[in-house]
Amino acid sequence: MKVSISWLKELVDLKVSIEEVVKLLPLRTIAIKEVTQDYIEMDMKGYNRADLLSIRGVAQEVAAITGSELAFKDPEKPEFVWNKHSLPLGQDKLPNTPVQIMEPSLAEAQCVAKIEGLTFGKSSEAWVKRLESSGMRSVNNITDVTNLIMLEYGQPLHSFDAKQVENETINVRHATEGEEITTLDHKLRKLTKDDIVLADTKKALDVAGVMGGLDSEVNENTTSILLSASLFNPQMVRKTSQRLGLSSEASKRFYHGLTKTRLLQALNAAIKMYQELGGKLTTATLVGNFEDKTRKVTLTKKKLDELIGVDIPRDKVESYLKSLGFDLETQGDSWEITVPYFRLDIELEEDLVEEVVRMYGYEKIPAEKVPESKTLQDESPIFKKIYDFKTKLVELGLTEVQTYSFYSTQVLNALGFNDSNFKVLVKLENPMSAETQYLRMNLWPNLLEVVDKNLRQGFKDIAVFEIGKVFNNVSGQPKEEWRLTVALMNNTDNPLAELSAITTKLSLKFKESKPQAEGVYLFHPTRFLQVGEIGGLAEVHLRVLNELGIEKRVAILEIQL
Amino acid sequence: MEEKLKQIQVEYQNKISSADSLKDLDALFIALFGKNGEVDQFSKQFKSLPKEELKTVGPLFNQIKQELEKTINDKRLTINELIYKSLENESLDLKNTEIKKREGHLHPLTIFENKIADLFKKLGFVQFDGPEIDSDLNNFELLNIPPEHPARDMWDTLYISKNLLLRTHTSNSQIHIMKNNKPPIRMMIIGRCFRYENLDARHEHTFDQFEIVYIDKGVSMANLQFLSEYFLKAMLGEDIKARLSPGYYPFTEPSAHIFGTCVFCKGKGCNICGKTGELELAGAGMIHPKVLQNCGIDPKEYSGIAWGMGTGRMAMLKYNINDLRLFNSGDLKFLQGIKK
Repeated sequence: MKVSISWLKELVDLKVSIEEVVKLLPLRTIAIKEVTQDYIEMDMKGYNRADLLSIRGVAQEVAAITGSELAFKDPEKPEFVWNKHSLPLGQDKLPNTPVQIMEPSLAEAQCVAKIEGLTFGKSSEAWVKRLESSGMRSVNNITDVTNLIMLEYGQPLHSFDAKQVENETINVRHATEGEEITTLDHKLRKLTKDDIVLADTKKALDVAGVMGGLDSEVNENTTSILLSASLFNPQMVRKTSQRLGLSSEASKRFYHGLTKTRLLQALNAAIKMYQELGGKLTTATLVGNFEDKTRKVTLTKKKLDELIGVDIPRDKVESYLKSLGFDLETQGDSWEITVPYFRLDIELEEDLVEEVVRMYGYEKIPAEKVPESKTLQDESPIFKKIYDFKTKLVELGLTEVQTYSFYSTQVLNALGFNDSNFKVLVKLENPMSAETQYLRMNLWPNLLEVVDKNLRQGFKDIAVFEIGKVFNNVSGQPKEEWRLTVALMNNTDNPLAELSAITTKLSLKFKESKPQAEGVYLFHPTRFLQVGEIGGLAEVHLRVLNELGIEKRVAILEIQL
Repeated sequence: MEEKLKQIQVEYQNKISSADSLKDLDALFIALFGKNGEVDQFSKQFKSLPKEELKTVGPLFNQIKQELEKTINDKRLTINELIYKSLENESLDLKNTEIKKREGHLHPLTIFENKIADLFKKLGFVQFDGPEIDSDLNNFELLNIPPEHPARDMWDTLYISKNLLLRTHTSNSQIHIMKNNKPPIRMMIIGRCFRYENLDARHEHTFDQFEIVYIDKGVSMANLQFLSEYFLKAMLGEDIKARLSPGYYPFTEPSAHIFGTCVFCKGKGCNICGKTGELELAGAGMIHPKVLQNCGIDPKEYSGIAWGMGTGRMAMLKYNINDLRLFNSGDLKFLQGIKK
């Protein structure tokens, strides 16, 4: 979210400098990504403060953390332009247009207002500057209204060219499977029944919450618009936005969560801006429920003190919460707190504790020693085992390496994987590339890559080991286990001899054996030893080494831990 | 021209079939296809040929070229198979069993992580062996991150199936730990995590995290401040200060980002810390009451701290390593040259 500095100053009577705001925001609220002459960009990735996706919300927050007053007031409902006492004398209700929410799960509310008598053109300099200082570009006067309102109230809106909407109908419905729409970016989008669309009687007009359709876009001939404001199902918007790879300023706000109160404020403010452009409000249709639920949470002083570890005076607690817009009612040692409608992130007592402690200042929390303790849980013996093996191997002169948990395509080829035996490998559904598609089921093949790489670097002697997890499919279920592997290239034509000595030093017993099944392909036919039931050591078959471009003999050990 | 071509073909086919080592084959390959080899020489003469003749010679030339290439490759396989066959005549010989003198090296991450484990062992923490493949439930949902929650944007996830994934953080282990142990709990996890990430000097798809789970009666943010100082001073130096700052994780409430004095400028402000004198080094918070509840621990009775960081990033600061990818590179110059 890029917060226009000049706009913020219009909304808050700042008692401190902008530099101080920039200093305080990360201390009290949220990290800052970038500060320019025009804007402060807050780092909203994954964040739960939906209210901070509007400059009014940011203004409320900034006022609280700087002890400043807001320069605006939320409008009262009767003042809304479509309500009786705002209408011309003699008119007590505007006509409706057809609007329906086809299934309650799709949207909680859908509003459509018709505005006539507009003239398409450029926006005023003041509007252009506001948009630009918020990191957006001006498009045209009609579209800019919706963008400016979204920035101010956090509520995305959309203006349709009324001529292009059949029967002035705007319904909220599921897309049909395979339904197509060309979006504003000129791309043909194929929809599924999990997507929501706004649609007239004939066709989809808009991929709900994500992007408008090209056909009903406002253009230079537009004089009448249908202004649409919606509260779509946030999870469905997020799914569609992800599937289409289309994350827009609007979709982000939809899936972070919107409120009904702000929706009405935004609709009202947008209509007023269109009236400033000479437009006339001729219909207004509000479908759905427009009351935000009042949420009350109890905060006890005991919980507060215990969780923070600091005794913050009661009057401080109260003034912090009041400045953030919470209403407090004292009840003995606790407070019953009414959450302001715009703070969707506050549900539990612990959420309020965070509000108090951030206003108090995280940086002021003193350190309180964690008392020493005997161990309370049993540690898995695997860690001691790993530690001991690593220590021993390093003493023996080996270097520990760590390789990726995947098999590269080169390794897959060298190991002779093909369609018939891929199934034993655990496969990723969405790999970054073919190199990360399959998880390793043994460690030693990746160590061959290490040998190859270092041979190319000019190493004449390579003794390396790795301890890590491997993965395979056991009757369709992925399993993981710890393994130890050693690879030795000692520039002789029989490295297994030295490796067997190393193996003995690790207190592992081995006996002569013969490779079985796919081992015949992978290992030397005679230089092959078995370590009990847990693994083995062998010279790697020249065929595998050839595939990897290694011209030296290499022996490996691999055991389960 | 045609005659000459056929002559070369016969000549080389004979040579190839009588070759009996890979070395001979390589020499023949170079004589044919190398710079100034027969093929190269021949194609140079094409310029001077009349168009009519070129029409017949051209395709023939290509055909013979391909045939010879195939003959060499086939022969290579035959010779290889012979060599592979001869391996059966090599015996298992374990007589020369002296171990060469070499200097051994632990991986820098192991050294760093062993130090961390020792540090927290002193406070009674033991290591937990958490799964690297886990369910969406343990990695996300029980950590208070339901499907389609906006916070999921924080983790680009590698999936095995709809409900199975490579853990994106060690926090999946919190669930295993809390479900299987009764408080008080002092456990830690050090291990590999995975994310859908394109590689560069600062980004890895495969990386290690360290995390502690500390649950008891009366555990507070003041303890969290203590643990942050305890960790940073021991790992990066006594002159490092720890500062908590507000942040957001769905599985902690309150949540905190942990900043430490910049190790490069010691707080004066430099290019690496963006002139702030601090680096963001870890993330933590008080375990979310819903997470405690999900695991059968009563948040009215107990509170807990989850504290975690990426060990690779911090080891880079500690050992002055400039590329995160080096840890998984297997590059011996790096692994044997690092000053610990």
